[in-house]
Amino acid sequence: MREGFGEALVEAGKRWPDLRVLDAGTKNSTMSELFQRAFPDRFYTLGINEPGMIGLAAGIAMAGRRVVACDMSVFLHHAYAHIRAAARQGDDLHLVITASHTGVAVGPDGASAQDTTDLARMRLIPNFIIVTPWDGAQVRRIVEVILEEKGCYYLRLNRPKIPVFLKEPAPFEIGRAYRLREGERVTVVALGDKVYSALTAAEALGDGYADVIGVATLEPLDVDTILASAARTGRVVTVEDHMYVGGLFESVAGLLARRHPTKMRRVGLDRLFTTSGEPDELARIYELDTKAVVHVCREFVEGGAG
Amino acid sequence: MFRIPIQELEEKAYRIRRDLIDLIYRTGSGHLDTSLSLVEVWLALVYSDFFRCDPQDGGWSGRDRVFLSEGHACPLQYLVNADLGFHSRDEVFEGDRRPFTPFQGHTLRNLAYGLENSNGSLGIGIWQAYGHALEVDRWVFCIAGDGEFEEPSSQGLLSAPHFLRPVPNYILILNQNGLAQDAPVELGPLSEVAKLYDWQVLQVDGHDFEALGEVYRQAVEELRRPSLIICRTIKGKGGDPALEGKLGQHGRPPKTEEAYQAYLVGLEASRRV
Repeated sequence: MREGFGEALVEAGKRWPDLRVLDAGTKNSTMSELFQRAFPDRFYTLGINEPGMIGLAAGIAMAGRRVVACDMSVFLHHAYAHIRAAARQGDDLHLVITASHTGVAVGPDGASAQDTTDLARMRLIPNFIIVTPWDGAQVRRIVEVILEEKGCYYLRLNRPKIPVFLKEPAPFEIGRAYRLREGERVTVVALGDKVYSALTAAEALGDGYADVIGVATLEPLDVDTILASAARTGRVVTVEDHMYVGGLFESVAGLLARRHPTKMRRVGLDRLFTTSGEPDELARIYELDTKAVVHVCREFVEGGAG
Repeated sequence: MFRIPIQELEEKAYRIRRDLIDLIYRTGSGHLDTSLSLVEVWLALVYSDFFRCDPQDGGWSGRDRVFLSEGHACPLQYLVNADLGFHSRDEVFEGDRRPFTPFQGHTLRNLAYGLENSNGSLGIGIWQAYGHALEVDRWVFCIAGDGEFEEPSSQGLLSAPHFLRPVPNYILILNQNGLAQDAPVELGPLSEVAKLYDWQVLQVDGHDFEALGEVYRQAVEELRRPSLIICRTIKGKGGDPALEGKLGQHGRPPKTEEAYQAYLVGLEASRRV
């Protein structure tokens, strides 16, 4: 996913001469260094200075440039005041904040490096469009699309290599969720790399069972697609590598509570600090993997409990 | 040095101070003491002969930028912009701190109104302005407070010319009134540190038009390094003399007719023209 991002930045750099890229000391993790090699004069490396990077990025965007600021997600906590201030500058900015290393999928570096609250933080700031790609192919398409249209974007990347399962060009429209598989018994709404887990789970559950909705834009959420599916199945399961607090689960729950009260289950992290381990191992421990999605769906549909 | 005679600047300073006192007394909230401390600093800048802006076309790409990082000085920003002709003075009196007006309690970016950046939380505008200066071919001035430099990331900005790139078109104007919200503030070795990181550092009496004009000229003539202008000012300058330079007045406007009158008496006594 990160290589796809770095390569997409280089392509975007060829297309948009005004594109500027910044990184705060993680360019070989976020892969923004690919852009630096191609366009050294249009790249700013800040070192370990997250507030400074976002402050500069906002100021550069205020000068009318396209700007992509990259960092490992957990370090952007340092820059939260600057991110909020950037979002309050008006609707003529074109600013993308890219966060890599999200969720427990970060793995062995442990809780300090696994950002499991980034979606919640970013949802609290008005004006940010929150984009959660599913695989490397979609990242490429997303970078193309979000550098076309002005706005403040938060782009959430994951660390592990996950299969590229979408054919290029991958589907992506801002604010649109995609019904990736049709089923009647339960709706599975997933985001980011968990879309792949949701699809493999649906496969295991069999034809016509799970209605899988892939969310590539958490804010604004595609209300119509989710409501239509919830109305069809009467049961909704959310799947995310993020704390349930403030993430996809609460977003969908809030929507359904207002518009179409529906029973729900969640696959996601409790409100806790996670542990070190290999990504697959952690997905198993925290019940975020395909098996967990299958289990939750089965129990929800067939377990008889309300 | 200036586009208008200094005597006219003194007259403008007097009128703007009177408007600040009236405005903030009427609104009932706002940061009068900070605004009063910056009157000469701001007027000297925008009336310097090199300074370019177009009040009819606030977003003009050839404009010199004025970022305000200590956003609580925005009443002064609104009144100076009114004086320049971006909008009317009445509009400020009608809209100050009212819902959905361009005159929020801290600045909301609005180029047509001459408002270069949204601000409030301290230590942010100084970085935004530096980023801006990296990319535009005009002067980027940024007005910041001394308390703002208690923020470690603000002290980090001083290292930007060394670690990032020196931008000679960045001119940081530091309002050294010596008082933060809850305590006095001192800069310590800040000017020495700035010099080590390759800033041109200039010091000036922030209430002396002629001296201010001279340091602004030196700043724009520096072609290699950014400039840091430390303006020594008095918080509450030209208001109630009993409160000038006194701690504890931050964001506390006169609340009674008596307190308001004390400000007006002080203003008349301080009048230089």
